[in-house]
Parts: sequence; C-alpha cells; structure tokens
Amino acid sequence: MASVGLTQYLLIGAVLFVCGVVCMAIKRNAIGVLMGVELVLNGASVNFAAFARFHEAFRVEGQVFALFTIVLAAAEAAIALAIVLNFYNNYLTVDVDSAEELKG
Amino acid sequence: MLENPGWLFVAATLLPLISFILLLIGGKHWGRVAGWIATAAIGGAFILSAIGAAYYLPHSGLFGHSHSSEAKPASQEEHRGASHTHGARREHNHGHEYSSLLERDPAEPPWQGGLVWAQTSSGESGQATALRLGFYVDGLTVIMFLMITLVATLIHIFSTGYMAEELQPQVEDHQAYAVRAGRYPRFFTYMSLFCFSMLNLVLADNLFQIFISWELVGICSYLLIGYYYERSSASNAANKAFITNRVGDAGFIIGSAILWTYCGTLTLPDTVRLQRNAKGEMVRELEPGLFSRLRMPNKDTHGDPLPGQLDKYFGNFVRVAPIKPAAEVADTRYRLAENGGWVLVFGGHFHGEDLTEETAIAASSAPTNMGLSVMPYWALVLAGIGVFLGCVGKSAQFPLHVWLPDAMEGPTPVSALIHAATMVAAGVYLVGRAFPLFAPEVLLVIAYTGAVTLFIAASIALVQTDIKRVLAYSTVSQLGFMMLALGVGGWIAGLFHLLTHAFFKALLFLGSGSVIHGCHHEQDMMKMGGLYEKMKITAVTMLAGVLAIAGAPLFSGWYSKDAIMVSALAFVVHHPQHILLFLLPLITVAMTAFYMFRLWYLTFTGKPRDEHVYEHAHESPWVMTLPLIVLALFSVVVAWGWPPWDPHASALEHYLDHEMPIYLHPDADNPLQDAYLAPVRKYAEQPEAFPEIQLPDPHTLAGLLALLSAGIGFLLATTVYYWGYLDPEATQQQFARVYTFLWEKWHFDAVYRWIAVRPAMVLARICRWFDLYVIDGLVDGSARATVKISQWDGKFDLGIIDGLVNLTADIIYAVAAWLRHVQTGLLRNYVLFLALAAVGIFALVSYILALVG
Repeated sequence: MASVGLTQYLLIGAVLFVCGVVCMAIKRNAIGVLMGVELVLNGASVNFAAFARFHEAFRVEGQVFALFTIVLAAAEAAIALAIVLNFYNNYLTVDVDSAEELKG
Repeated sequence: MLENPGWLFVAATLLPLISFILLLIGGKHWGRVAGWIATAAIGGAFILSAIGAAYYLPHSGLFGHSHSSEAKPASQEEHRGASHTHGARREHNHGHEYSSLLERDPAEPPWQGGLVWAQTSSGESGQATALRLGFYVDGLTVIMFLMITLVATLIHIFSTGYMAEELQPQVEDHQAYAVRAGRYPRFFTYMSLFCFSMLNLVLADNLFQIFISWELVGICSYLLIGYYYERSSASNAANKAFITNRVGDAGFIIGSAILWTYCGTLTLPDTVRLQRNAKGEMVRELEPGLFSRLRMPNKDTHGDPLPGQLDKYFGNFVRVAPIKPAAEVADTRYRLAENGGWVLVFGGHFHGEDLTEETAIAASSAPTNMGLSVMPYWALVLAGIGVFLGCVGKSAQFPLHVWLPDAMEGPTPVSALIHAATMVAAGVYLVGRAFPLFAPEVLLVIAYTGAVTLFIAASIALVQTDIKRVLAYSTVSQLGFMMLALGVGGWIAGLFHLLTHAFFKALLFLGSGSVIHGCHHEQDMMKMGGLYEKMKITAVTMLAGVLAIAGAPLFSGWYSKDAIMVSALAFVVHHPQHILLFLLPLITVAMTAFYMFRLWYLTFTGKPRDEHVYEHAHESPWVMTLPLIVLALFSVVVAWGWPPWDPHASALEHYLDHEMPIYLHPDADNPLQDAYLAPVRKYAEQPEAFPEIQLPDPHTLAGLLALLSAGIGFLLATTVYYWGYLDPEATQQQFARVYTFLWEKWHFDAVYRWIAVRPAMVLARICRWFDLYVIDGLVDGSARATVKISQWDGKFDLGIIDGLVNLTADIIYAVAAWLRHVQTGLLRNYVLFLALAAVGIFALVSYILALVG
C-alpha cells in the first residue's frame, strides 16, 4: 500500500470542504448549515495540519493556523448559534429560506 | 402788525390745498367729516382773507381819500369834480416809480413775494429768463379773495345738505339707471382742489403760475361736471368742457410764449429780487414786469425822469420803425414812428438819453435786462389775442361758449361754483389783471366778442325750459357784458359786474338747486309752477337774485350794469362806428329781464302744471336756505354806497376805481395815460370836459335807457307769463323758425359737430383702424412669433435635452432592475454562487496559468 502522503490529506480536506459547501448549499435547516460551515472549517484545518506535517516551511505556521481555525470555529459557532436562536425566537423556525427579507 | 400781510393770502390759498391732500389720503372713510374738513378749510381761507382785507382797508380807495363814503358829495357834479384828486394816489399800482419799489416798506400794498424757481441765465448777461412762483396782492386780489372764499364757503355749506344722499353706501342714479356707491368725500376733495386752484390763480403774479392754476381749474371742472359719470350726458359734458377749454388754453400758451420770447419774463408787475453785482455783493435789484416792459415808464430804472418831450408816449406802447429796413438785424436802429411795425420793450437799466425824438434808438432783437429791445407789433397783438383766447375758453365767450350750458350736468353746487366764483370768473379776472398788455386792436376784439356773446346767449336763454340751462345762458350773457365792458375800457365796470354777478348768480344757482332738490330732481320749468306756496324762502331769495340780474334799481346788478352801459356809451361816443357795442347790450338788458322773470314766474307762480311734482315739492333744510338768505342779502347790498339811490355812489365801484390800472386814469396829473382809452374814461368821468359833444349826461342817458329796456323786458314777461295776456304757445308757432333757431342754440352744436367733432371722429376712426390693424398687428404678430418659437424651443428641450438625460437614467434603471434579481435573499443561493464563483475563479486562474505556463 502506498504511503499516505500530502495528496491524500489534501484530498480529504477537499472532500470535507466540498461536503461542507454542499451541505451549506442544500440544507434548509440553519443548524445543518452551521454543520456545513464546521465541515468547511475542518477541511481547512486538515489542510493546515497536513501542510504543517509535510512542508518544511509551514512546520509551526500550519499548526498555529489550525489552532486558530479551531478557535475561530468555536467563536463562529457561538455567534451563529446565538443568531439562530434569535432567528428562531422571531420566526419560530430555523428554515434559512424564510430569512429572505434582504432580497433585491 | 404783520410785516407782509400778503402771506395771509398765501395761507388762505394753501388751506384748501391741505384739505384736498387730507381728503385725498383718507377722505374715503370719513363720510360726513370730509364735508366738514373742506368747509372748514375754505371757511378758514375766508377768515384769513378777511383779516388780510382788514390790513388792506386803510390803503384802499374807501377811507382816507376823497372818495370815502361819508365825505361823498351828494350831487353828481361835485362828485365828479372830486375825482380829480385821487389820481395821484394810484401810483403804487404798477410800480412805475421804479426807485420807490426798492425802498418801499413791504407792509405797504401791493404786497409781493415769491421766488425764482427756474433761471436759465443770470441777469448780468442781459438775457432775462426766469420763472417765478410768487404772489401779488393788490386791491383786486383782496376783493377777489373775499368774493371767492365767501361764495365758496356758502356753496360748501349748501353742498353738505345738497349732497347728503351721497352719504348712503348705495345710491340709485335714476338717470343712468345704475346703483352705485355714494361718493360724498370725493365731491369735497374736488371742491377743495377747485378752490385752491382758483385762489392760486388770483394770487399769482406771473402768467405761468396763472396758467398752472388755469389748467388745474380746467381739470377740476372736468372732474366735477363729470361727477355723475355713469350718465353718458355727464361724461360727454365733462369732455366737452375740457376739450373746448383746450382750444382756449392753446391760445393762452401761445400768447405766453410770444411774451416770453420777446419780453423775457412772464411776471406781470415789477418785482424786486436779490442779485449779485459786479463786486459780488448781494443787492436788491428791480426787475421790470411785463407791464413796465411794454408800456413806457416815465422814469428810467435809476429813478431819473425821462425827457419831457416824450411824455405823450408815457404809459403807451411805443411803436418804432427801423431806420434802414434792410440793415443787419443786430445793428438795426429805430426811430419813433406813429404806426411803426415794432414796439419797444423796456428791459430796465436804460438811460433817459437813449430815448429822444430825434436820435436813432439802439435796440436788440432779443429780450434783455440791460436796455431796450423790440418786438413786432403784430406779435404783441397776437399775444394779446392769445391770452384773451384763453379767457374766451374759461369765461365761455363766443365762439367757445358751448361748454357752459352742458356743464349743468354736474351737481348744482358745482354749477354755482363754476358760474359764480371760480371758473368763469377766471377769464374775466385775467383780462382785468393783464389789461395793460392788450393793444387797442385786442381790446376791440374783446369788446366785440363780449357784445356778440351777450346777445347770442341771452337770445338762447329766452326759450330754454330747463331751469339750470336758462341760468347757464344768462351766465354766458352776463360774462359777455363783463368782457364788453373791459374791451371798451370800462375796467371798473367789468370787474364790478364780475363781483356783483358772483353773488346773485351763486344765489340763483343755489336757489335753482333748492328747487330741484325740493322737486326731486325735476329741472324742467314746464313741470313746475305755483311753487311759491311750497318754498317761500327759496322763492323770495330767488326773486332778489332775479331783480339783481335784471338790473332793478337798488339791487347790486343795477349799479354794475349801469357802469357797463356808461362805459359802452362813452366808447361809442368816441368811436361812432362801433355803435353796435352800445345797442347790443341795450337790447340784451331787456332780454335779460324777460328771461329771468319768465324763469321766476314759470317756477313759482301760476297753477301747478304737474300735480305729481307739485305735491311732493318741499322747502329745503336750513343748511341750504341759510346760504340762500346770506347770498340774497349780499345780492342786494354788496354794491351799496351812500346814498344808495345814486347809481354812481357805489362803495364797491369806488374801491375798484382805486385799483384800476394807472394807464386808464384820465386825470391831468397822471403822466401815464393810455392814448386810446384815457379819453374814453375821461368822457365817462367828466363829460363836461367835452363841450363839443352834444349829448345829455352819459350817466343819465345810459342809466335811463338801460332802466327803460329792463322795464320793457319785465313788462313783457309779466304780460305773457303772469297775467297771461299772450299765449306763449301761439307766439312760438307764429315765429316757429326763430323759435327753432333759438331752441337749437343758433345751431352752434350742430356746426361744431360738423366742423370739429365729425372730422375728429373720422380721424379717430382712422387712428383706431391703424392702431387695431397695424400697431396691434405688429405687436400681436411678434407675440405670435414668440409663442411659436417658444413652442419649438419647448419641444427641443423636452424631446432632445430631457430625452438624453432621461435615457441615461432609464438605462441605469433597467440595468439595476435586472441586477436586483441576483439578490434573492436566499442564503443557500449565495452559498451556491460563492462556490460556483470560487470554482469559476479557480478554473480561470488554472486556465490562465496553463496558457502562461
């Protein structure tokens, strides 16, 4: 079996990213959308971690960025969930399609 | 004591002006108060005039002179002998004592003052051209002021009653079939202006100021005659009065312009003015007026007597002829010539030695302050006729008399004011005031105009049935008497009659106003009759007026008419070829008595001819009858003297005798006698000095003839209209031609319609056509072109400019409208777009890298 290299990690990261994007694009449930966002962020984290492992230049920076991304994801989740809760309070639903007041 | 009592008269003149301005500003809302203000103003003017007259009285001919009424000798013989002595006291009249004017106390009459308001060059250069605003108060001014303000005050009081119905907010005009707002304050506004104009006219010391007032009087008469302007007859009458007067005024202004051109001044009497002399000091300098410029003074400006051999020229126009007719104008020298074509103008600063029988006289052709100049004799005559033409218009003389009867369209107090105290008096007054300007030819024109007028007007008055029209024609006729008297040298008689006539004509007009008021605006005498029972005060007071105008003994008209007849007789005796000047007035005296008694009988006696009018007739309120009583009193006594039964002992006549222009006085010690008229005056005053004339005493002769004539007229009227011995209807039919001719007023209106009104109308129509089609066509055409251009311009602006701007906006709008659909508001769509965009960018970058690559 061929050794697991950068390519495979990047591939997984890309799959995760694409899954997250698709999840954001097709889910009507706000929680689902947030999940998609988590997937996208995690995909990015995988990429940072993979570069930190396989690329000399990003040894420290990759890991720092991965950690940043995790913190970022936590902060984003906190804010997003607050938005979702408020949205729910106002509309009694978490369907993102009903949030269309800003349409042109 | 006032330093110069003349200012009292200036104040009296300004009071009605103040009232006019007040009423003009606020009168509209004051109602009855407006009438009180105007009445108070003219009443105040009367009081001021009376105070001024009191100042004047010691200087008049009545007291302290040989003619004071107490000392008057009873017999005519002595009385005329005494008239010798008063000539010397008349010297102040026109300032021929040049030096005395400079040293005179300003408190001595005549009172003068004023200022030069337009001077085109200084006196130093010799060219004299200055317009003055000044006053000249002599005895004539004083007596005119008293008469005007007194009559006007009474008329104002009468008007507050007569015009009372104008106080209502709504007045129904039965003649115009119109309901309109009451115009009470407006009436008094105009009346005040009228009084101011008239007083200013009498006050003025120069022709220009007189002309200004002249025109103001004209416009006031226009406004007041057209007071009921809803009636077309009233507005036509106003136009007629105004336009007819324009004809006369054109003459006046031409006459003034001639005098201005050749004499360089329009001031009538001599005046004193401040002048800077060669050393730059202000000195009082004498400026000769028109009288002294045209009639030769007996002293030069330095007070030195002129050479004695010239004394036959003193006080006369000095006619000269050029020595060499073809010589250069600037160098022309003249010699004295009996019938020369030129007249000397005495500009002042000339020396006695310049003027002798033998020497050639140097005179310039332009007016000067520094010596002598000349003017053509025909220009002098033309100027006189021009000024007189103005008087013809104002005083309604033939051939411009047509406006006066129509002026009856105004309210009756206005008729009284116009006929008695103001407008028509202005013309006679001016002839009297400017008398020394008139050459013998002009005086003859004046006399004949007066004679023709008095006869024509009286003949028309014989057949009129409108009570006011009879009075109007009688006014024209009486004015003719005055003009005739002035024209034949009866200066005193003319102005005497003006003053007495003012009172009895105001009385007659106000009386007729009272009748009209009492009969509810019925003016046709054929519908009256028997009104004596209903309005006794009016009837009796009017009878006093009728007797006065007919010349009944002891009534004021008797004295003045007698004076006129004597003057006419004296003139005819000297100039037998002008016998008509005596015969026409003699016949007219009978006609006057006839038509006046006819008026009175038709109105007040006999059986009522219209039951309706008679039943509603009533006496007028006291504000109207009181002026009647006062005027009646004056109509009787105003000319009295002592003893009253002597027609030539009238105090008023002696007062005027003192004011007569000095040139007319025939006394031997008067150096300034007029060669043409002084002999006439001498015969009138002292017929015993002419033993070669085989005639009875002119006073007795003229007086008896006039009385006889008036008696015939009175008897005829009584026979026909009181006793009814003759049927007027039958007489009318017998003389149908004559009757129609008189009824149609000698066809003057028809003639004027053909020669003046029709051509004017045709011209007006041509002008109207021109205006309508050419002027208006041009104006309208340019307007239409402008509209068209604007329309095209508007289209361009709307279509192209606005189109481009809007197109840009539309495009942007359309793009925006299309783009807005991108913003779906759906989160998932945005995610999709992001993803697709990311993919797209990625693909693009890869492609570019590959291309570069």
